[in-house]
Amino acid sequence: MALILVGVNHRTAPVEVRERLSVSESRLGETTRSLQSIVGVTGAAVLSTCNRVEAIVSSRDEDVIEPIVQLLAGRANTTRDELEKHLYILRHGDVVQHLFRVASGLDSMIVGEPQIGGQVRKTFTSAQELGTLDPLLTQLYENTMRVSKKVRTDTGIGEHAVSVPYAAVELARKIFGDLHGLHVLLLGAGDMGELTAEHLHQQHVKQVFVANRNHARAAELAHRFDGSAVQFDQVEAHLTRCDIVIASTAAPHFVIEADHVTRALDARRRRSLFLIDLSVPRNIDPAVANVDGAYLYNVDDLQQVADANLGLRRQKAVEAEEIVAREVEGFRRRLVAQDAVPTIVELQQRLEAIRSTELEKCLRKLGPMTTEQRQSIELFSSQLVNKILHYPILQLKDVTQTEPQERESLRKTIRKIFGLR
Amino acid sequence: MSLQLTDTLYAALALYTLGTLAAFVSLLMGEKRLQYTGLLLMIAGWVAQTVWIGTICARTGHPPITNLPEVVSFVAWVTFAVELALWIRYRVYAASFFVYPLVLLLLTISAVVGENLAPLDPELQSNVFTLHLLMSTVGVAFLLIGLAFGLLAFVQDRALKTKRPGRLWDWIPSLDVCKNLSFRSLAIGFSIYSIGLIAGVLWSYRTTAGLMEFRVKQIAAVTAWVLFAILLQSYVTNTYRRKRILVVSAFAFVAVLVAMMGIRL
Repeated sequence: MALILVGVNHRTAPVEVRERLSVSESRLGETTRSLQSIVGVTGAAVLSTCNRVEAIVSSRDEDVIEPIVQLLAGRANTTRDELEKHLYILRHGDVVQHLFRVASGLDSMIVGEPQIGGQVRKTFTSAQELGTLDPLLTQLYENTMRVSKKVRTDTGIGEHAVSVPYAAVELARKIFGDLHGLHVLLLGAGDMGELTAEHLHQQHVKQVFVANRNHARAAELAHRFDGSAVQFDQVEAHLTRCDIVIASTAAPHFVIEADHVTRALDARRRRSLFLIDLSVPRNIDPAVANVDGAYLYNVDDLQQVADANLGLRRQKAVEAEEIVAREVEGFRRRLVAQDAVPTIVELQQRLEAIRSTELEKCLRKLGPMTTEQRQSIELFSSQLVNKILHYPILQLKDVTQTEPQERESLRKTIRKIFGLR
Repeated sequence: MSLQLTDTLYAALALYTLGTLAAFVSLLMGEKRLQYTGLLLMIAGWVAQTVWIGTICARTGHPPITNLPEVVSFVAWVTFAVELALWIRYRVYAASFFVYPLVLLLLTISAVVGENLAPLDPELQSNVFTLHLLMSTVGVAFLLIGLAFGLLAFVQDRALKTKRPGRLWDWIPSLDVCKNLSFRSLAIGFSIYSIGLIAGVLWSYRTTAGLMEFRVKQIAAVTAWVLFAILLQSYVTNTYRRKRILVVSAFAFVAVLVAMMGIRL
């Protein structure tokens, strides 16, 4: 059996190619079935995300590669030669390694991103529902998900935020723990501020207040976050009530001064206040950072946190690659052992049949004998067969033999020599 | 070969040592699984210590809080029990870097000082005295946990202020959790410790007809009580982040240790 993967990703193909190849959820079934219908293919699944489109198949041999490439070229409405420039074709162990890495987020644009694990799971569950997963792909699926979980648990590769808005959410959690029940004040309508407020809103904060010079715009944004719009001159009053303040206005001066924060903290009985200044020029006086109980982060600080986390993820990726390498080797060994089982069973049955027949003939010729004599001859014949089978079985089980073609050739030779079907 | 009474104490000491080492190696390597190993070793040590304490109770017929080794051992035992309960509830890994060595230190003192078991002095066979010792030791255990979480809150506050996460960043829970746990432990500890002190004063009055004899341990106990009151007040007014509060914490720690160690002074 062969494992084949043909695909493109963000490194090999530009978005124009990927978007033509991408498979929408509604067409996933049809595409997977088209793959399955290629002669020689025994199992098929299609992974389609914004960064990659991959056809994963198990087949009797590698002759299926060409029809798969043709199928993809047809889908992309391009020529085979044109598509080939962007394609990668992986075989056997490389497919296993690739899938383990992809599901663990090691092949992602942002190392360790968590969404890809779910996307890989969805790919295989869809194929399972369609009935296009054969035992080999089922095994590959189960192992891929197990390795992905192991990598994430053992290394914590996806634990730290690597974007500015997520870094802000992560810091808010470091200050307040649970974000439920917190009040957020968004000043201005800058893109980054909006995005940060959006992330906080997704964490189920209690309420988002929006203040903007343009009150209509504030009301519009507040509606998006199920919050309330407040007048810009009411900002100081809201500092007392809010736990997180995001400043993202176009104002060329400080909107929040250290005095405002000191007064607010006094009124809050010194409960912590997290201030995020995403504006350039800055909207929050840097002196706020010196106020006890106030935690001020500007866009550079958050970027530094995100960059440091990305560096951390890269360090953890080295550890993750080691886990993947070990797991790929383990999977390969299990497959080799498994592949050899039918031949070994047949071989044992064949030689047992020969032994039984020849033993009967021999016993008839020898005539009457004692039970001990009969048992000795039977034991001799069994031991002889076992000795003959010892080396062929050892060779069939040899997991150090890495090339599938060589293993197949060995199996064929043994079957031929012993007259197996 | 029969087991000696001290065998369980030494077993507990060995397990606490290994548990503390595992926790520190896990900090250096950033390896959380090793932290679990450390915790399991500490739990095993705590079980061994429980057997030791139980045996003393069974043999002497009174709680194991009548001499220095017994008192420090009992404080270590309660401290780890509180730490374990908090770990189960909040999964605070970083507290172990302060609590495990403290538990180990206390039990080491207990093992080094080591006194023979003796029946309780008739003068000490009083419910008020037992209440004084029990409440003081349990109170101290809570106060020590409160100090450990206070220290974590301080470290977390500094890391957030200076924007330098440091080694403990991933191991410490949120600032609010550290602060709340510290405050609650201090509040509980302070209340229990106060009852212990009042019981002590009452017992002293009964036996010596005076409220205090101004012995070192008594002065240290009252000083610790005052310092812990200042600490509690800093949480109420949210000034716990200030450096001087860290200094107060350090003095409170020393005072409480002297009060405990000075049992014979």
